Amino acid sequence: MNEKPDALPSSFRDPAGYVFRQENIYYRLITEAGKISYDGLMNSGLYATLTQKKILLPHTEMPASFQGPAGYKIIQPEQLPFITYHWEWPFALLQDAALLTLETAKLALDHGMVLKDATPYNIQWHNGDLAFIDTLSFEPYKEGQPWIAYRQFCESFLSPLLLMHYRKHSLHSLQLGWPDGIPLQITRSLLPWKSRFSVLTWMHIHLHSRYAAKPGGQKDKTAVVSLAKFRQLLSSLEMLIRSLKLEDEGTTWGDYYTEAATRNDYLDQKEKIIESWTRELTGINNAVDFGANNGSFSQPLAAKGIFTVAADGDPVAINKLYKKIRAGNLKNLLPLIVDFTNPSPAMGLGNEERASFLQRIGTNNLGLCLAFIHHLCIGKNIPFERVAALMALSCKQLIIEFVPKEDEKVQALLILKKDIYTDYTIDAFEAAFHPYFNIQEIKKIPGSARTLYLMIRK
Amino acid sequence: MIQDLIYIDPGSGSYLVQVIIGALLGVVMFFKNIKMYLLSFFKRSPKKQKDE
Repeated sequence: MNEKPDALPSSFRDPAGYVFRQENIYYRLITEAGKISYDGLMNSGLYATLTQKKILLPHTEMPASFQGPAGYKIIQPEQLPFITYHWEWPFALLQDAALLTLETAKLALDHGMVLKDATPYNIQWHNGDLAFIDTLSFEPYKEGQPWIAYRQFCESFLSPLLLMHYRKHSLHSLQLGWPDGIPLQITRSLLPWKSRFSVLTWMHIHLHSRYAAKPGGQKDKTAVVSLAKFRQLLSSLEMLIRSLKLEDEGTTWGDYYTEAATRNDYLDQKEKIIESWTRELTGINNAVDFGANNGSFSQPLAAKGIFTVAADGDPVAINKLYKKIRAGNLKNLLPLIVDFTNPSPAMGLGNEERASFLQRIGTNNLGLCLAFIHHLCIGKNIPFERVAALMALSCKQLIIEFVPKEDEKVQALLILKKDIYTDYTIDAFEAAFHPYFNIQEIKKIPGSARTLYLMIRK
Repeated sequence: MIQDLIYIDPGSGSYLVQVIIGALLGVVMFFKNIKMYLLSFFKRSPKKQKDE
């Protein structure tokens, strides 16, 4: 009997298989119960089509001699650099993920298969694009069967997108409250009255929720939906989702760089210093840009081939960055809505089914923390020591900018606030980071009173 | 034999509503097609005039 490796804490629901990690590589076990699904995917030509279109994460089958848990087969999918959850996604990313799910469902029908799972957990970032990662989400289609994942799709994709579209706010954090989808009755009550005038919204949410509120009966069991109607259902969802948009209202920091750029050549100088430091740095793994805003400094890192997470709490700025990446086909850069002072928590069963943001980014990143420290320490009253300790948790190397109190941006933060920040000094800043990091380089940014530090964790 | 369906709760009412939506969509698509036809008719007519 083989030694039983650990199944991932998030991989326990599907009897058809589970994901496990062995010697730092992720594999998927397909059990005997998953044989029909897996063989259907492979033999129907669906796998070939989906991987050719770069929709499904490709995998290789491990030989029978492979030492792993017992089951029908073990496959090794292409490895993902990072796992992200939909409560961190900007509107346009969730919209693309919904469209990708529908396209997958359509292609499955073309091959006599059906997509049985329509959840954002199955979509991840792979090689600069979204990919469907769950190889076991398909099963043979039986003529007349309704779409088993219809409600799941409406609750987990359509509901948040419609709410954001109609309410004109990024309501991504609603998904933290309902990680498996916003219940239809709740979506219906939160949508404005006028949403009923969109015939597709009325059908998929308002009408749907009225039926979903009733207990299931014989009529559900005997419901027959023809293949043509099934396809029409998918097309109507696609049409509706394509028509949605989040209005780019004024953003907290959206105009920051337009304004900052006018300050001498501050941004250029800053970029030059960062470029020269990162060029000399060795052993860079992944990068995380804390307070990334429009991604001005994460983009050059990603362009060097470093997988970079651009994290910022401003959903509008992150949505804009995502759209820019899509348009420019910039790989290796993943923009996520993450507030550094309140990152995504660990969720789900035993608080370990979905790892927290800090757990997921790991401990060996190159961290960027640019023009951010004053927002944390003065804006949010976080002591330097706490920032240093948190940075040391996730960053092997750190490029951090100190913004002194006399800086106009700091003064702007202090207009209405009482200045209780007597210890906000460059000496106190260095002293706070000293226990965790060795300061390798210090450079004043020409044209400003700001200072850049390159630090290496002790 | 689709045993593994049991682990997902498709949600009561979501099957039945697909039958109703299926019927309604037929009507919606019928009118949408007429709309598209009319639009294409109007879009084509200026071209014809040009050709003439």
